[in-house]
Amino acid sequence: MSESDQKSDAQEWDEGDPERLYVITRGRSGSTEKAAIDLVTLVVSRSGPMPGMQPEHAAILRLCQSPLSVAEISAYLHLPVSVVTVLVADLLAGERVEARALVPPAQLPDAALIEAVMHGLQKL
Amino acid sequence: MCAAVTMSVASAQARVPVAWCGVVATVAVALVAAEAARRGRKLAVLRDRLAAQENALNSRLAQQRAETLWLADVLLPDAVARIQKGEFPEDVLAAIAATRTGRDPDSAAVHLKVVRTVLEAVSAEEDMRDSAQRAFVNIARRVQAIVHQQARGLREMEDRHGNDPEVFGDLLRLDHGTALIGRLADSIAVLGGARPGRQWSRAVPLFSCLRGAMSRILDYQRVELHSVSEIAIVGPTVEPLIHALSELLDNATRYSPPETRVHLTAVEVQAGIAVEIEDGGVSLSEEARTRAERMLAQAQAGIDLNDLGETPRLGLAVVGRLSQAYGFQVSLRSSAYGGVRAVLIVPQEHLTTASAVGRAHGIGAVSVTRQDTSHPRISIPRPVTGPRRTMPVTAMDDDTPVVTERTANGLPQRRRRRPFPPPRTASASAAPTPVTAPDDAGQAKEPVQPGMWLAAFQSAVSGEPSEAAPVHENSEESSDKGE
Repeated sequence: MSESDQKSDAQEWDEGDPERLYVITRGRSGSTEKAAIDLVTLVVSRSGPMPGMQPEHAAILRLCQSPLSVAEISAYLHLPVSVVTVLVADLLAGERVEARALVPPAQLPDAALIEAVMHGLQKL
Repeated sequence: MCAAVTMSVASAQARVPVAWCGVVATVAVALVAAEAARRGRKLAVLRDRLAAQENALNSRLAQQRAETLWLADVLLPDAVARIQKGEFPEDVLAAIAATRTGRDPDSAAVHLKVVRTVLEAVSAEEDMRDSAQRAFVNIARRVQAIVHQQARGLREMEDRHGNDPEVFGDLLRLDHGTALIGRLADSIAVLGGARPGRQWSRAVPLFSCLRGAMSRILDYQRVELHSVSEIAIVGPTVEPLIHALSELLDNATRYSPPETRVHLTAVEVQAGIAVEIEDGGVSLSEEARTRAERMLAQAQAGIDLNDLGETPRLGLAVVGRLSQAYGFQVSLRSSAYGGVRAVLIVPQEHLTTASAVGRAHGIGAVSVTRQDTSHPRISIPRPVTGPRRTMPVTAMDDDTPVVTERTANGLPQRRRRRPFPPPRTASASAAPTPVTAPDDAGQAKEPVQPGMWLAAFQSAVSGEPSEAAPVHENSEESSDKGE
């Protein structure tokens, strides 16, 4: 293998991180947590990071000193949303963060009701 | 004298013949005596010559013997060793011919013939082994390239389908399988005498290395990662360390009951960093331990792919190879949990305390867009777009932008990474200007009312003031590299 080959080879290999995403989530894909947390859920930390925490958890706690949505956390940490969902769910279980849905779906009026109102108005 | 006595005794008439007889006898005796003496001298000469010849022959014999011994004890082993070190047979033969000038020319020619025959046989064998190893390494490299491409593709897919947990979960499983294939290819490459695989030009935190090792084994969920000292591994050692640890972890998880955990810790010791892997499996008997250590030692001495046997247990052989090449110390002992406790010591010279870029430490504070591979990973504090609620004065340190690139004429250039450009007004130029980039100070002073929380968030992201120093140091280093 010539030197230039090795160089391009090295460049090609040298990127990314040694750890893969499944290690960060310990194999969970976030399918069970999905119901509670979605992209726009606002997350705010209750306490600062503790020593000995998984670095991603600590990073979320640092980021979320002000409320931040899951989508934003995902963008800043360069982690897919599902990974962030898993991590936030961990933190929620440990009562280190609080999560709030931006607009609780229960408070949105029923679509059928709106349609009925529209029809009623058109009939006037 | 006899004749004289006879003459005196004999009668007068008989005197003359007696005298003649006496004379004749005397002459005859003298002649015989002279001849005897001559022969005696000749004999002595011949005897001397014979002795000299015998001596010469003896010494010749001794010399021949010595030459033969020299051939067997010095010349051949030396030549074979040189061949095994990779020299060409012609060169070795020429070197031998040159050193043999003072010696017996006949035996020299014969010896050269003997050496030539042996060398040809040996080098043919070596060539075969070499080409077999090269073939192994070549195949492993190809597999590695495919695996790497696959892993990269998977990572992109994971980012793209991050919203869909079902697809994401499937992708994670595929990713895991790919990592396992990659480890096997790495092992083959190492046993073929090559470096493991990818190379890292930057230091990687130990925590990331340990998790990297975990991500390459089947049962990574059983590995419990405990506290790890905040230290980084220098780039060239990262891959061998990850690979060696993953082989040890694989052994630990494979030879312990599936419900038990495997504990992974790293502590600082005098010699460097000791990474400990403890499992709760079957304890290592003294016999098994010596066997394992012998295997390690054998691998350190260099391993022949042909010796691996029909069901090769690559793990320890790979670990031995790697620890020999990079100076790791590996020991296997009985664990307090009843299983095996493997300790791998990374020597001090492979460690660095420089703040390493990676997912594990300083996450969020140090990161760059993933697609941008043309630049080394650098840390850029994000520009602050609004007034800070806390520490407006001391936070100025953070606002000083970090020079990451320079333009052709040497001026600093800052790369913007976020899609929302901060507004600029004329008042920006009036703000006190830090040395490196006047633009940013203006942004920092710019009073932007909406998005108060965003500003606070960004101040948190750009790092606490205490973290500012390593971040700057790091990026300076990166900018040097970038030039």
